[in-house]
Amino acid sequence: MMTTLDTHDSHAHGGSYFDGPPGLLAKIWQWMTTVDHKKIGVMYLFAVLFMFFLGGMAALAVRYELLDPVRTVTELQGTELVESTTGQRLAFLQDIMNAKSPNEVYNRMFTLHGAVMVFMFIVPSIPASLGNFFLPIMLGAKDVAFPRLNLMSWWIYVIGCLIGVFSILLGGVDTGWTFYTPYSTTTDADHYRVVLMVLAAFVLGFSSILTGMNFVVTVHKLRAPGMGWFDMPLFIWALYATSIIQVLATPVIGITLLLLILERTMKIGIFDPSMGGDPVLYQHFFWFYSHPVVYVMILPAMGIISELLAIHARKHIFGYRAIAFSSLGIAAVSFLVWGHHIFTAMGELAAVLFSALTFLVAIPTAIKVFNWVATLYKGSIVLNTPMCYALMFLFTFTIGGLTGLPLATLSTDLHLHDTYYVVAHFHYVMMGGTVIAFMGGIHHWWPKMFGKMYSETGGLIGCALVFIGFNLTFFTQFFLGTQGMPRRYANYVDEFQTLHEISTYGSWILLAGFLVHLVTFIMSLVGGEKASANPWGGLTLEWECESPPIEHNFHHEPIVKHGPYDFESVVPPHCDPKDYPLPQSH
Amino acid sequence: MMLSTTTLADSPSILQDWIFGGNAASRAAAQSDAMFLAITWFSIISFVIVIGFAAYCVIKYRRKPGVPVQPSPHHHTLLEIIWTVVPSASLLVFFVLGFRGYADKVVAPANAMELKVDAWKWGWKVTYPNGASSPEQKFLSEQVLNDGLVQQTGLQYPIFYVPEDSDVRLRMHSQDVIHSFWIPEFRTKMDVIPNRYTGYGFRTPKLKAGDTVMHQVDVYPDGSPVLAEVSGRDMWIFCAEYCGDEHSRMAATLRVVPREVFEEKVAEWGRPKSPWLLGQTIWKQQCQICHSIDGKPGTGPTWQGIYGTEGAFADGSTHMRDENYIRESILNPNEKVVAGFAPAMPSFQGSLSEEDLEGLIMFIKSPDRDPTTAGEDGDSAGSEG
Ligand code: HEC
Ligand SMILES: [Cu+2]
Repeated sequence: MMTTLDTHDSHAHGGSYFDGPPGLLAKIWQWMTTVDHKKIGVMYLFAVLFMFFLGGMAALAVRYELLDPVRTVTELQGTELVESTTGQRLAFLQDIMNAKSPNEVYNRMFTLHGAVMVFMFIVPSIPASLGNFFLPIMLGAKDVAFPRLNLMSWWIYVIGCLIGVFSILLGGVDTGWTFYTPYSTTTDADHYRVVLMVLAAFVLGFSSILTGMNFVVTVHKLRAPGMGWFDMPLFIWALYATSIIQVLATPVIGITLLLLILERTMKIGIFDPSMGGDPVLYQHFFWFYSHPVVYVMILPAMGIISELLAIHARKHIFGYRAIAFSSLGIAAVSFLVWGHHIFTAMGELAAVLFSALTFLVAIPTAIKVFNWVATLYKGSIVLNTPMCYALMFLFTFTIGGLTGLPLATLSTDLHLHDTYYVVAHFHYVMMGGTVIAFMGGIHHWWPKMFGKMYSETGGLIGCALVFIGFNLTFFTQFFLGTQGMPRRYANYVDEFQTLHEISTYGSWILLAGFLVHLVTFIMSLVGGEKASANPWGGLTLEWECESPPIEHNFHHEPIVKHGPYDFESVVPPHCDPKDYPLPQSH
Repeated sequence: MMLSTTTLADSPSILQDWIFGGNAASRAAAQSDAMFLAITWFSIISFVIVIGFAAYCVIKYRRKPGVPVQPSPHHHTLLEIIWTVVPSASLLVFFVLGFRGYADKVVAPANAMELKVDAWKWGWKVTYPNGASSPEQKFLSEQVLNDGLVQQTGLQYPIFYVPEDSDVRLRMHSQDVIHSFWIPEFRTKMDVIPNRYTGYGFRTPKLKAGDTVMHQVDVYPDGSPVLAEVSGRDMWIFCAEYCGDEHSRMAATLRVVPREVFEEKVAEWGRPKSPWLLGQTIWKQQCQICHSIDGKPGTGPTWQGIYGTEGAFADGSTHMRDENYIRESILNPNEKVVAGFAPAMPSFQGSLSEEDLEGLIMFIKSPDRDPTTAGEDGDSAGSEG
């Protein structure tokens, strides 16, 4: 049954999964049809990073347009007044994108940025890449429970992305990634781009559901002998909680998007009031999925941080059970807080209830942060790239969490809703949380995945640039928001210019940081030093197998004899006891 | 953490100025700033404790070769209870205070003046209790040219007048998609939705000695405006819910003026006008953002010289552009879509009266001047475009 491994992978061969048969096509085919969770994880990793690049380009375009406001200036040339327009920096794309106006170019850019980043990058990012690669290994299994289903979800992901990219190539959509009705059901009525983009999100949802199901079953059924629930690494707990949300919430968005497509193509009135529908109903449906999905984005990141802090501080994680249970707590409460996205469109009673529930979800998150910081106490901390990213996560994610409080507070939210304050807040959570943890995780597991070390100097320079660039870009936006700058504006009044400028310059530094990482990674793949099996001295099971792991991960089924964080009593496998002195008394 | 937002509201700090620009226009707004500030202080303190402790550990417990880690407990029940209860209690306080502030912001006293707000892609219209609305507009920027003349440039925004020191309630409705009516200086916004009324209330501030605005009092013979300083205070109104191409242009000015000025203006606007003048006013308020009268195409076709000519439509048909056609175009714009344009025009069914339609037809017939006032140039502020 599910514990027996699929042996139909006829292209399988011994040794590293990296050296293949001759012939490029054969090799590509072999990758594309593999059921090996590691290869699927690696393919996902490159795919989501490519989507991150695409969404990032759109973000840079958005910031570039906002460098200065659009103004009509009149100059006295000789005796004539000459009028010209300044600040329309994306106007050159208008014809290429077949847009009605420079503003529409901007609107499509921010939509593209949001839709790509949310549906194609951040939702699948950690679970589908690092999760796919490491969940089975960390459990001591040979693969996920349903390897072929895993391949199917990869292909569904690819198809979803292709549909989305196709819509972008046709010109893109200007609905915003939230597809709010009735704007989304009426805009560009003469085109199918909106339908395509919505369809892409719909298809991608299935990929998410299948991966989630696969993980839940794997965690329940394939833990190695000796591994109880509370012997699992916290990354697994986080992925488990994430998977539950994915399985339960994603169908709701699927149905909602389907209704939207039906309304647009068949003119069935569901959300559009001119056909007897209710536009606010859409917002409820949409956020019923999209709020829990915020935790699909952040929970795996929290899991990574638990791993990074423990290993690189060589310290037992503080409050293991509290962290594990807070993951489940967050997953449960996340289903009850969707209303806080629509405080300005609902009645008083509902607003009060949702405000209270929203505060509730803050508490397990705060507990996690306290536990992480307490883990550092009396540790043996090394400031390498993964650890620096983990510390950066603590910094930016804490800001992200705390700046959420004025948004949960009803009176202040009425001012801050739909402003740059919100933009800054969720970038501190999504980017300062998820992306930062993802970067830390990639560096941490890079030697294991590819069998090569990366340049620590390169990693640290990239990390520093990302830190500076990120904070310049987004901290300024808090002030823009409180002072009155609405979001999704292609143009703005003069007093906001300085802050917008700083933010745009920050985005360039951010870009530089990611480019440094790109170069570091390429150099590592091309000529990196060979990685040992356990370069960081980790105690979780992935450090017991080779770097990179063999096809079925382990030479013998591992038997778990110690906890994942028993650094104070166990010398890590493959490590020299000299480098890992244990405390005398225990 | 029992902070009283009322006392905080009365003593604005530098931080408050820095965060909000110190321009809260009502007591509810000042209290909301104070609430924000209280949360900010709470956040700063929490941040310093948490991140400060992390930084301390990173420095103190740097890895030294050959030195083992020091054992420490893997959990600590008392500590864990404290760091669960303290944040929970603080959040409860924020919740309760936030709810009180919310009630202050959205509920207006029963005797407040009710303004009807209409929203469409992309504009706002405020209708006063006597049925009048403001025809006045403000330029985004006034540029002083090298020869000292004032050149008004950029976009124009409607000016909505409200009397100082009085209660106002908004009843809002949208013609098309969802918009959101935000007055940053009152720290409040609410969505404007096509199939239901929404709204909120606020109390306008008393004008202070230094509160003045530049106001057009006359025009020079060459058409440029004569500006003078009058008592008043301008605030931005922004659309805060994304609504398409000109979303970022969907702004307006709320002008707080002395009560006499307000009453005089509203009474003046309430007087009947010639149909052509009425048409011109409505064009400026509601149609200009998409329709020019000087031949330049915008989101919609220009109105220059269209009346009485054949129009070509997207489906290949043609039709004489007469009174009936114009009427239909306004009430049911997607019936016949002009070739080369997207079906982007909102229907004005239900928001324009018979009289308004009559005026618009008169105006489209002859956009440049009022045929009933022979000779004189009807449109004095002809510098738009
Ligand atoms: C959002 C932009 C927009 C606004 C605001 C708008 N229109 Fe239009 N209008 C259009 C577009 C686009 C068309 C062409 C497509 C069509 O025929 O529906 C159009 C077409 C028309 C036509 C037909 C013109 C022709 O050449 O045949 C008339 C008449 C008209 N509008 C009147 C009005 C009036 C009166 C108002 C204000 C009360 C108004 N419109 C406001 C976008 C707009
Ligand atoms: Cu709007």
